[in-house]
Amino acid sequence: MTHIGELRILVPVDVSGMESPPLDVLDHLGAVEVVLLGYFPVPDQAEPALLRDQYGPKATDRLDAVADEHGDPDEVLVFTHDREATIDRIADEYDCDAVLTAGRSTVVDRVLVPLRGDVNLDRILAVVADLLLAGNETATLFHSVAEDADPTQGELLLMGAVDRLVEYGVDRDRVDWRLSEGGDPQTDIVELGAEYDLVVLGETEPSLRERIIGDVLSAIVDALEVPALIVRDVE
Amino acid sequence: MSAEGSELERTLGFVEAMTLGGGTMIGAGIFILPGIAAETAGPASSVSYAIAGFVALLAALSLSELATGMPIAGGSYHYVNRALGGLFGAIVGWGMWTGLMFASAFYMIGFGQYLVEPIPFLDGRVFIVGLGLVGLVLLLGVNYYGTEESSAFQNVTIGVETAIILVFVAVGVFFIDPGNLEPFAPFGPGGVVATTGIVFISFLGFEIIATVAGEIKNPGRIIPLSMILSVVLVTILYVLVMLVSTGVIPFESLGDSPIPVSDVAVTYLGPAGVVAIVFAAIIAAISSSNSSILAASRVIYAMGRDGVVTDWFNVSHPRFYTPHRAIAATGGLTAVLILVGLEVETIIALLAEAASFSFLVAYSLVHVSLVVFRRADPDGYDPSFALPRPLYPAVPILGVVLSLLVVSQMATVVVVIGSGIVAFGVVWYATYTRGRVVSEGLLSEAIRGRPAEPFRVVVPVSNPATQRGLLRLAAASAHANEDRGTPELVAVNVTPVAHPSPLQNVEADRFEHQRDLLNNAHDIAAEMDVTLRTRTVVAADVGEAILDVLEEEAADEVILGWDGTLGRDGHVFGATVDPVVRSARCDVSLVNLRNETVGTPVALVAPGHNAPVVAHQAAEFATVDGTVPTLLNVQSPRGRNDSNAKERGRSVVVDAAEAAGLAPDEYDIEVVVADDIGRAIVEATSQYDTVCVGLSGRTEGSRIPFGTVTERVVHDVPSNVALIRGS
Repeated sequence: MTHIGELRILVPVDVSGMESPPLDVLDHLGAVEVVLLGYFPVPDQAEPALLRDQYGPKATDRLDAVADEHGDPDEVLVFTHDREATIDRIADEYDCDAVLTAGRSTVVDRVLVPLRGDVNLDRILAVVADLLLAGNETATLFHSVAEDADPTQGELLLMGAVDRLVEYGVDRDRVDWRLSEGGDPQTDIVELGAEYDLVVLGETEPSLRERIIGDVLSAIVDALEVPALIVRDVE
Repeated sequence: MSAEGSELERTLGFVEAMTLGGGTMIGAGIFILPGIAAETAGPASSVSYAIAGFVALLAALSLSELATGMPIAGGSYHYVNRALGGLFGAIVGWGMWTGLMFASAFYMIGFGQYLVEPIPFLDGRVFIVGLGLVGLVLLLGVNYYGTEESSAFQNVTIGVETAIILVFVAVGVFFIDPGNLEPFAPFGPGGVVATTGIVFISFLGFEIIATVAGEIKNPGRIIPLSMILSVVLVTILYVLVMLVSTGVIPFESLGDSPIPVSDVAVTYLGPAGVVAIVFAAIIAAISSSNSSILAASRVIYAMGRDGVVTDWFNVSHPRFYTPHRAIAATGGLTAVLILVGLEVETIIALLAEAASFSFLVAYSLVHVSLVVFRRADPDGYDPSFALPRPLYPAVPILGVVLSLLVVSQMATVVVVIGSGIVAFGVVWYATYTRGRVVSEGLLSEAIRGRPAEPFRVVVPVSNPATQRGLLRLAAASAHANEDRGTPELVAVNVTPVAHPSPLQNVEADRFEHQRDLLNNAHDIAAEMDVTLRTRTVVAADVGEAILDVLEEEAADEVILGWDGTLGRDGHVFGATVDPVVRSARCDVSLVNLRNETVGTPVALVAPGHNAPVVAHQAAEFATVDGTVPTLLNVQSPRGRNDSNAKERGRSVVVDAAEAAGLAPDEYDIEVVVADDIGRAIVEATSQYDTVCVGLSGRTEGSRIPFGTVTERVVHDVPSNVALIRGS
């Protein structure tokens, strides 16, 4: 599924609140297709149709306003009890490669790409290649090896990944890599992430409830101040 | 690109549906009722539970079919309202709402009993009622402020209480003293059936699956599976619990206990067992009561949506987004019911029976509704789970008979309370609902059966400004073809949705639109005396959807509204209309309504295969205002002194009229002789209110041929214009 040049990302936006999320990053991603998902969280005690009756028009207006600011992408509006399930379904329906979480970034020059191993690697690299080909960013591939493990394994992974990106047509100057031997990837990513404008993460394996974002990943995403692009793992 | 309407997510899977349904059933009923059940039926109370489970299973079967046919919020209330109309809708709606409150109050008093009884110095009714109220207030708080992600917690608590009950049963089986089970039914079959009425409340949980049907994924599979499975499993469990309870302790002493299960457990599980049982009983009461409050707010929402009650209830909290008014009203009345427990000794049995009564009445009407739906077979009712042949009509018939049998054995005071609620529903309908909503139900259709060989005219409607006019024309057309079959009008409304998917719930959306449509269409159908059906379709492409409907309905004619513009964005008439004109396999009339009146229609008749269709259509339209159509032909003079031009024109008209099956007195003839045919046509037709023009030639391939004469008429004539294409 390595379709280079057709990167499509899903951007979920909570339309129940008055504040619109910081999505400036969207304007700096270059020629990337965006699907804007407005979701209205419905508490367990409420009937979704009731909330739609009442807040439907307001929610549509808010979503339209967000869309107007960011190049008028495709819009979907869903009233849901379960935000994750909705993100998953819409991403599937619109065939999105990745999901963008909101965060503060006014420019996108530097992209951090933590790699965990072979899991989901092809898709992550394809998305990164699409991203770099669409814009002018530089990317740093990052891997953290366990303390007592052989660091050359990690080097091999990173160099192989750089080669793959070059094969996709990315200029070698725009890609570098970093290896950490600290052994705590979660802290490393959060600390390192602060120096970057965007972090590309791979979706963890589907958990029991087939959620798009696993627990470790959501902890990282929550801790990051910059936006994260989560590459979906669909078989 | 703007969002085209919004979707609802279906998020409940099989596990969630089971915990919702089974979780409400397992628990509260079984911890509180065995004492009362044993008192009135002896060891045979296990049979009472089996009968109650069977009655519930019948209701679950009927409800499954209805819920897969119409998976939207409201449950039993919604199906009865649609099938039998507003009167029965009001009865069932109020019955379910009050029944759920009775159930909630019952659970919360039981909750107080289990907390109070083990502690010796905390005895007394005041404490029981007080604890019940405290529990209720906590629950209402949770519901009022809203919780998210509580389902995981719910799953854990239900798992724990099920495990405790299973241990209770598994160990208890070895402590059964056969002597305790003799005599098995000391109060005879009457006592057993009477007890069924009391314990029926234990089986309300599966109804909750139906009230959230709109949120269940893959409803065709999961709704019936979870409803039937939860009822069957819970029934087995309850029968076992009852056998163990009455087998371990003589039923007389069991009957005296307000906390029967705990009293049984202490004999073989010791103090640890009692603590476990008390814990299970408390969480059971809370989860069951919570589900009831939740379901009650859904019922009120559905009633408000259909106009049975004021939609004052259907407002959600501006910050928490919970239906706070519905929850507050439900909570307030439940609190009153709990407080009644201070004065009424037998409050537990009374509340249980009153709730059972309401639901038994509701389920009888659900069974009737199933029969009505099957007979009337309305559009859009296409259940993915349908009862197979021997089960239908056996299930609904048996369901009604058994429900009424159980009701008949109930205590007089309960029958009075229950009948009072039914009477309230009737009065409510008479004073409030009637006159506000169009909800005739399908009853009359079901009795009449389906007419044979109808002549069907399909009218897609969407624009409120023109739908009335279109419906009138369509009704006239249908009526004029009575000789070809019973006239039938099918009004279609297509809701465009960018990505229709079975996962999203657009069903509820249709209501507002459909109500307007129904109001308008019913008026006209009554005026014009034709059978009317309405259909609503959700599709990505409106044109394609209309074509699908034409195929499904085997339509004879379709009347389309059109705004009168030509050649826009690469389409001839418009993106929606073009595919229909191109591919429909029936007569197509494209109508641009410019005046209110249809008046005297004029048909432009030129030699060709389309002429009879155009002539006939004009005659059909003429019946709207009871006029006689004019058939117009324009001839160009051949040479200076061509006196035959008029004659030639007349014969063209007469031929076409004959082919259309019109008698000579059914039309007027006008022949115009002029050099400039186009101008003559515009001048002549401008005198009439409505102009019928044929689309020239056959439509071949993807082209829609469009003559210059037609174009001039569309542009220059101020009258209503109908473009006709034969099949």
